[in-house]
Amino acid sequence: MTPGRLAYVALNTLILVFMLAPIAIIFVFAINPLPYIDFPPSGFTWDWFRQFFTSDIFMGSLWLSLRVAVMVTVLAVFFGATASLAIARGNLPGTRMITSFVLSPLMLPAILTGLALFQAYMFVDIGRPLWGLVVGHVLVTTPYVVRTTLAVLHNFDTRLEEAATNLGASPIRVYFEVTLPLIKPGVIAGGIFAFIVSFDQFPVSLFLIGPGSETLPITLFNYLKFEMDGRIAAASVVSILISLIVVIGIDRTVGLRSYGKM
Amino acid sequence: MSDATAPALLAPGAMKPRRAGPNALAWLIMPIALLFALFFIAPIGLMALMSVLTGNPMWESGVTFTAENYVRFATDGYNWEVLWITIRIGLSTTIAALLLGYPLAHLMARTHSRTGHALLLIAVLAPMLTGIVVRTFAWMAILSDTGVVNATLMRLGIIDAPMTLLGSETGIVIGLTHIYIPYMVLTLNGVISRIDERLEQAATNLGAHPLRAFIEVTLPLSVPGILAGSLLVFALSISAYVTPLLMGGFQFMTLPLLIYQQISASFNIGFAAALGIILLVISMALIVGYNRVLGMLSGDSKLT
Repeated sequence: MTPGRLAYVALNTLILVFMLAPIAIIFVFAINPLPYIDFPPSGFTWDWFRQFFTSDIFMGSLWLSLRVAVMVTVLAVFFGATASLAIARGNLPGTRMITSFVLSPLMLPAILTGLALFQAYMFVDIGRPLWGLVVGHVLVTTPYVVRTTLAVLHNFDTRLEEAATNLGASPIRVYFEVTLPLIKPGVIAGGIFAFIVSFDQFPVSLFLIGPGSETLPITLFNYLKFEMDGRIAAASVVSILISLIVVIGIDRTVGLRSYGKM
Repeated sequence: MSDATAPALLAPGAMKPRRAGPNALAWLIMPIALLFALFFIAPIGLMALMSVLTGNPMWESGVTFTAENYVRFATDGYNWEVLWITIRIGLSTTIAALLLGYPLAHLMARTHSRTGHALLLIAVLAPMLTGIVVRTFAWMAILSDTGVVNATLMRLGIIDAPMTLLGSETGIVIGLTHIYIPYMVLTLNGVISRIDERLEQAATNLGAHPLRAFIEVTLPLSVPGILAGSLLVFALSISAYVTPLLMGGFQFMTLPLLIYQQISASFNIGFAAALGIILLVISMALIVGYNRVLGMLSGDSKLT
């Protein structure tokens, strides 16, 4: 290996350490028995996890986050899959513009989506209902479903469906037996992504959470403003593991590769 | 997505795009159209409206149009300072993300083994799949006075007293760089992997030092990626809320923080709306630039 090549590899290794070490370090703090951040850890304890799982506040917000994420996933899949079918198969004019419009909540600062919805709810005087938070999450997660579903639809051209029609299948049968199975991997992948984005969502939630009903990221944030101990590390580990389980789900069903295409 | 046209060219009868009007499936656009009209377009329109009204017309009478909120922004030096801090943090983050993201994107684009590429992709995506709050906490734990960096340096005897990393602009930039670097890497990787590797090989074969071959061949060709990635990371980092607040130890006021403060502490909806519109306009300009750069790039590749 030439010195130049060595420097290239070393530099990239350092960059990867910068990207991944912070996530690993959370696990270290979650098992450190001292009540404050201390490095290196001075022992081993499960106590922070016990405290996390027995805290009403943390459990309440974890439960709310999971409920919201499930509702958001179902809705994002519905809105995203229907929109993708219309864009790819509806023969609509201006599909390019429609696509970028449908993807635009990803481009707009998420904090503004939250702010605009908050002002609108206040304007019509409905306060901050839970469905209002769910709608905010649906806006920023649907684009992921559209992206993955459109990718699948564009990879398979319409000839599969045309062939089925030519062989005498009714449009409804074509839809259920050809189109739907075709887009399933894209929809599932997008749905899983929607779940994670909703579960980890902060900026949209900031303005939309109702009093006394906080999602896990909001609770973590409020806690971090004043304290930083092992409980927060344990909570972080749990939230990383939930995302990880979901990502392994993606890999098992459709593979991770489709996400590299931004 | 660009592959969509390829199979159509192979099918003999499919050379001409069908020009028939929308079919039954086109109706499926309605759910999302309704959702966006009601909960995306209308609220943003309302925000723009509220920024030029003297109050909420649903609650008060005699509400009129006013430029007061924008005049207030322009005439109070404090707001300009906030804007400057926001832009400064955005610029530092963009530069840091570019310097760290470029080598990694280059490595990804030049790694041809399937496993190697997949592993690098997982490494880049892993931080994205961890929440912003969790990642900010990780950096607080790393940079605090008793955290990983200070404790290690003190143990090694390199420093005597902990450095103030948490509660500084450096801390904010480190945290934001970590959060937005995946966007930089993925954008750059998309551009660099389109550059023909043989161009660089030709340069080295003709006797150029690999570094010189890179600087004179690959680097100039990747400028659109640098531009697009930088616009994206800048747009993302100026709208960040969690990291500037927690890493800055409440000492740095950025535009998103000011917006939240106007809602939660001052309850000044009109001014918050005006600030929101200002942030919106800046972000939109950056994103239009990002799309244009990438659009021009895909246009180019179709010609060659």
